[in-house]
Amino acid sequence: MSPADPGRAVRPWGWYVLYAAVMAALGYGVYAAAQRVDYNWHWERIPQYVVSFDGEEVVAPFDGFVKLADDGRSLEVESLRTAERVRIDAFDRVLSGDGDLVFEGDAIAMRSGIAAGPLVWGLWLTLKLSALSLLFALGIGVVAGLGRVAHNPAARALSATYVELIRGTPLLVQIFIFYFFVGTVMNLSAFTAGVAALSVFTGAYVAEIVRAGIEAVPRGQMEAARSLGLSYPQAMRHVVLPQAFKKSLPSLAGQFINLIKDSSLVSVMALTDLTKAGREVVSSTFSPFEVWFTVAAMYLLLTGALSIWVRRLERRLAHD
Amino acid sequence: MTEVLIEARGVCKTYGNGVAALDEVSLTVARGEVVCIVGPSGSGKSTLLRTLNAMEPISAGEIRVLGEAVHDRRTNLNRLRTRVGMVFQAFNLFPHRTVLQNLMLAPRIVGGVADAQAREQALRLLDKVGLGDKHDQYPGQLSGGQQQRVAIARALAMNPQIMLFDEPTSALDPEKVGEVLDVMKALAAEGMTMCVVTHEMGFARAVASRVVFMDAGRICHVDEPQRFFDGSGHPRLQAFLGQVLQG
Ligand SMILES: Nc1ncnc2c1ncn2[C@@H]1O[C@H](COP(=O)(O)OP(=O)(O)OP(=O)(O)O)[C@@H](O)[C@H]1O
Ligand SMILES: [Mg+2]
Repeated sequence: MSPADPGRAVRPWGWYVLYAAVMAALGYGVYAAAQRVDYNWHWERIPQYVVSFDGEEVVAPFDGFVKLADDGRSLEVESLRTAERVRIDAFDRVLSGDGDLVFEGDAIAMRSGIAAGPLVWGLWLTLKLSALSLLFALGIGVVAGLGRVAHNPAARALSATYVELIRGTPLLVQIFIFYFFVGTVMNLSAFTAGVAALSVFTGAYVAEIVRAGIEAVPRGQMEAARSLGLSYPQAMRHVVLPQAFKKSLPSLAGQFINLIKDSSLVSVMALTDLTKAGREVVSSTFSPFEVWFTVAAMYLLLTGALSIWVRRLERRLAHD
Repeated sequence: MTEVLIEARGVCKTYGNGVAALDEVSLTVARGEVVCIVGPSGSGKSTLLRTLNAMEPISAGEIRVLGEAVHDRRTNLNRLRTRVGMVFQAFNLFPHRTVLQNLMLAPRIVGGVADAQAREQALRLLDKVGLGDKHDQYPGQLSGGQQQRVAIARALAMNPQIMLFDEPTSALDPEKVGEVLDVMKALAAEGMTMCVVTHEMGFARAVASRVVFMDAGRICHVDEPQRFFDGSGHPRLQAFLGQVLQG
């Protein structure tokens, strides 16, 4: 019974019916809008880009000639330049002929089975990017957040400058700077540059969340810890930060959901993340609506999983 | 020959906002003494107490506690603080840790005491404050009186030689005051050296070796309880006592 209107019988399913009706109406709206632009839906084109049943390519390990066994169950690649040769027999279909010249990376045979399609590979890259950036952003954010509340003026000024610089410039511009400038100077791969840009960007927001979390812990906590003889770092680590972390968990979750979504911007670099994979699939299927809806659903999968995990963590930490 | 554990000389303290909270305060406390500090709100009682373990820096003067110059930069404050327990008005228990963990934290991290030993000592201290059965609860599940008793036990966990109390019963429901004062009385009876800022005149009268009256950042009057409360002291003390004792 809701406290707002005690005594009134509540039929919660009624509201669920309303919810379902509104959602159905919205869905119909999308469908009707697509009808008006005379769009031909081809959902059947999409699954092969998620999971492919074509199997996996077996590639040549180096430049050389293919020697096919008589029974066709195995083949050998003889190196063009050295005496090296390898025997390959884990395949189901041969793509090259006896005596063919192949180069390193060429597909010489296929192994059948279920393989990830380009969208799943994109999802995997997005997941890797986000997870790594999340860890680094958390590290950077905690350090910069501690700097924000430190007594040392240099630490305070440095972290404030970092936060203001990062929050005052667009992520896309930062990504370009990391890719073209930092990446070139330090010779970073596109992936490393992407992780660096996302971590540094998200870290500034995490720093502010951490600062707010620390400031939300009553002063008496630090005082009690110090009065027991704990040093400032010990008091931070064992008393203040655990409480601050719990208080900031919802904001952190929001920030990390943003991180997953922001990672789509790294598709401007030579990185085939989920968004870039979507663009590539669109150009080969000419089905932009289906592809982008699929891509959106896959992002939701990641953000939804993160939300659920954080909510469970919150419940585990809630005991006072 | 009594051993002096706390010696404050000419202590002045001005807060950043210009408030002069302590003005030439001098006080000595010998081993085993219970010194109660009373006075009107804003008179500097908390400030004085908090300068004794350097929770507040001072502007002038000198404080020696257990032979160490508290406000000397070279003093190892963390080590000194393990020998001076402090109990706060708002308890300040660690809400994310159980009662037992609250008591074990400092011995384990600062004292380097082994887990089993810290645990055994924590349970003994909890028994002493009458809360042996609450060790697995979180502070939020306890009443104010119980929380304050846990806080006292936590301060005792480092085996301090001095205990500082800042209005330990002011945040409590009236019916919970007694249980905390009883623990403090038992502690005093064991010979613990204590400085207690309090509004509990009954406690001061019964337990204190000496009572200190503060007003406007100064110590106006120090006396043993009997003479302190007989109404012959400083006119402002009389006015203060008139107020609190009738109130
Ligand atoms: N952190 C602070 N910053 C600035 N001024 C302060 C601070 N703490 C206390 N003061 C001021 O210093 C004076 C003494 O305060 P203190 O807290 O020591 O008084 P008190 O005797 O403990 O009072 P109460 O009985 O209300 O606890 C007061 O005028 C107070 O306003
Ligand atoms: Mg006070």
